[in-house]
Amino acid sequence: MARALRFRFSRNEKLKYLAHLDMLRLFERALKRTGLPVSYTQGFNPRQKIVFGLPIAVGLTSSAEYADIEFDGDVAPETFVSKLNETLPDGAEVLDAVPLCGKSSIMSIIASAKYEIRFTLPKPLEQDEIDGIISGFLNNNDITVMKKTKSGTKPVNIRPLIYSLSVGIDGGSYILYAFVSAGSENNLRPDLLVEAIRQKTGLPVETESIHRSAMYASAFNEWKDPFEVADD
Amino acid sequence: MMKVKLDDKLLLKVEKPAKYTGNEWNMVRKDPEKVEVRFAFAFPDDYEIGMSHLGMKILYHIMNRREDTYCERVFAPWVDMESLMRERGIPLYTLETYTPLYEFDIVGFTLQYEMSYTNVLNMLDLGGIPVLAKERNEGHPFVCAGGPCAVNPEPMADFIDFFVIGEGEEVINEIIDTYREWKSSGSGREEFLERIAGIEGVYVPSLYDVVYNDDGTVKQVTPKSGNAPDVIRKRIIRDLDSVDFPDDVIVPYIGTVHDRIMLELFRGCIRGCRFCQAGFIYRPVRERSPERLEELAKNSVKKTGYDEISLVSLSTSDYSALPEFCDNLLRFTEKEHVSLSLPSLRVDNFSLGLMERASKVRKSGLTFAPEAGTQRLRDVINKGVTDEDLKASVQLAVAGGWDSVKLYFMLGLPTETMEDVEGIADLGISIIESCRGLSGVQEGKGIHITLSTSCFVPKPFTPFQWEPMDSIEALTEKQHHLKDIIRKRTRRIKYQYHDPRVSHMEAVLARGDRRLGKVIHTAWKLGAKFDGWDEHFSFERWQKAFEENGLDSAFYANRRRDFSEVLPWDHIDVGINRKFLMEECKKAHEGDLTRNCASGCSNCGAAVFKAGICVRKR
Repeated sequence: MARALRFRFSRNEKLKYLAHLDMLRLFERALKRTGLPVSYTQGFNPRQKIVFGLPIAVGLTSSAEYADIEFDGDVAPETFVSKLNETLPDGAEVLDAVPLCGKSSIMSIIASAKYEIRFTLPKPLEQDEIDGIISGFLNNNDITVMKKTKSGTKPVNIRPLIYSLSVGIDGGSYILYAFVSAGSENNLRPDLLVEAIRQKTGLPVETESIHRSAMYASAFNEWKDPFEVADD
Repeated sequence: MMKVKLDDKLLLKVEKPAKYTGNEWNMVRKDPEKVEVRFAFAFPDDYEIGMSHLGMKILYHIMNRREDTYCERVFAPWVDMESLMRERGIPLYTLETYTPLYEFDIVGFTLQYEMSYTNVLNMLDLGGIPVLAKERNEGHPFVCAGGPCAVNPEPMADFIDFFVIGEGEEVINEIIDTYREWKSSGSGREEFLERIAGIEGVYVPSLYDVVYNDDGTVKQVTPKSGNAPDVIRKRIIRDLDSVDFPDDVIVPYIGTVHDRIMLELFRGCIRGCRFCQAGFIYRPVRERSPERLEELAKNSVKKTGYDEISLVSLSTSDYSALPEFCDNLLRFTEKEHVSLSLPSLRVDNFSLGLMERASKVRKSGLTFAPEAGTQRLRDVINKGVTDEDLKASVQLAVAGGWDSVKLYFMLGLPTETMEDVEGIADLGISIIESCRGLSGVQEGKGIHITLSTSCFVPKPFTPFQWEPMDSIEALTEKQHHLKDIIRKRTRRIKYQYHDPRVSHMEAVLARGDRRLGKVIHTAWKLGAKFDGWDEHFSFERWQKAFEENGLDSAFYANRRRDFSEVLPWDHIDVGINRKFLMEECKKAHEGDLTRNCASGCSNCGAAVFKAGICVRKR
């Protein structure tokens, strides 16, 4: 039993066209339908005390989204998972939850993420050919691309934000496994990464789908599952 | 059965793709193979508008309670989506099962405003259904339409197989029952239309002949078949507590215009403002009981997860049990972290206290609708509000912490002079003056006022149905004059106004006859759609459509009609006597007021329905 929980959830094809704000609204309403004693903020416009790890862009699916939630009473993680799954729409599912004792919110600790980017190529390539292209790409110390920010477009070197890249072949399409920096500070969007690969290597990558498969917190120079640091 | 396939290449190219994918919470899921009747409820505008419409939620719920019927939803795709769909040959489909419109048994449109008419044609076309009713044959769906604009069905008669006049909760079941009987009888398309023409409230335009006089006015409308009545009387629900009201409405993912629980307090309005079509066509006033409403509120919060409830009616303050009801409802909403919004409230001590308690939102704008700038003109329209009432209300609001006020008016009301137009500015300024020095108003600052004017459009079944509408030039002149005098006199007033060309077209379609079908068809072929959206409306396109068909829009909008003239909607009966409307029109020109239904009956005719306030003891 706990007064605060950290939970992990997925969203599949059915909900992938929702924007981040739509996801927040979806969870707020689903939580209200559970009747669980969710805590509310004080003030003019009371809101549920729930914080999400990292916004998810329109078009992405994910099996590793995280959020922290507070209650006015004790709620067992199992009860939370089963109750919320009853009121979530088709396409979103809570996978698990752990008691949250630490003070750092999920939003502040997310530091990296893994993506599986499925793509096609106009002309097929062998595994070693494609490996060569990717390692050539990674050998650049400077991969500067134009990034859209609130104040306009500006050049950013994304090389330090890429931790590892590899490509697998799956039938007629390819899967790029990307491990990159994420979070509120140095976030590398997967579509920007694909754009950089297209520009720097000339590989005419045609993205089919993007899936977020993991998110990590950084603790003592180590990547940690957000559940492992729920006590920090 | 065909199912439309959508993919990322399409959906990631359009704005808000979640408008086109369905799967919302509380969406009804059924196996289409296991029902007898498939009904597509079509709202001829964008998802964000259509999903805010209470009527659709009600009928969706009622139809889907039937095991033999599956009601699905379809909206007008926004222009980005439409062009991709046309490019790829994707037909318009329903959100529930992605089924193309042409596969349905019945496609039902709701006509909420005239400027959505061209979207009806566009949706039929995109859905693979012939736009013209006469070009549909066996195997095509039946296309029907209802909603407030259906009280004058004539302009849309070429496109609609049958209209439903009035409230739909009961008649829709009769239509579906008849459809099933007809389907199992194996007879032809005409036979179905013959059969439903006998249902009260159903109008099958193809069963009527319209004859015109030489001057272009209607001579007579006569039924061609024995089963079609001379006059079609609207349907009403006599006891609102007796019909189902949805507590499990669909909860959209994307924000919509009214994204909250809507609790309908009552239908109709006691007031009788002479310009207001809703005030006449929804008579008599019938209330839902407070007990029923409370139960609906509680179940709705539980089933939807919404954190806001809005009370819906034409005039919230006129609900007879409002204080006790709000007290009980607030006790529930406060506990559940739900906010209550109260539109259409008259501002007085009671309502301000209520608003204070109801929503914890910042006190920003408060709106009032005096409708006209002088007492004389407010008497003409039977709007029982005085300058003193308004000033007192605004002072109360300002003292309560509101610092900006919006006032709604109409330009072009019958008998209006430039003096009345200037009265709008005078009223705004006198309100600012009267608030000077009030506690709550900062020294040297004062309150902010927005004056907004729309253009008066005469509507069928109102005392002004015979009145000419102001010309576009006259309205433009009035707008400019008002703008000038406000600018010269104060900087505290912001002035907003509407494009009179849109209002002109609205007026034409509102009081049009059957010949307008050709004009609407031409305008649509020239590209008209989303006419209610400024960025898509083109007056030139409509002018061209009139020219091509040899008709004059001024004939419909700007002509005074004689009391003896046969009006294109005279064969529709909404329960209001033509004689009563004529008397009201004459009284308007005399500036005589008519009492409201709560203070006494004025014999409008609605008592024929033997319901609500007409039979309630006062």
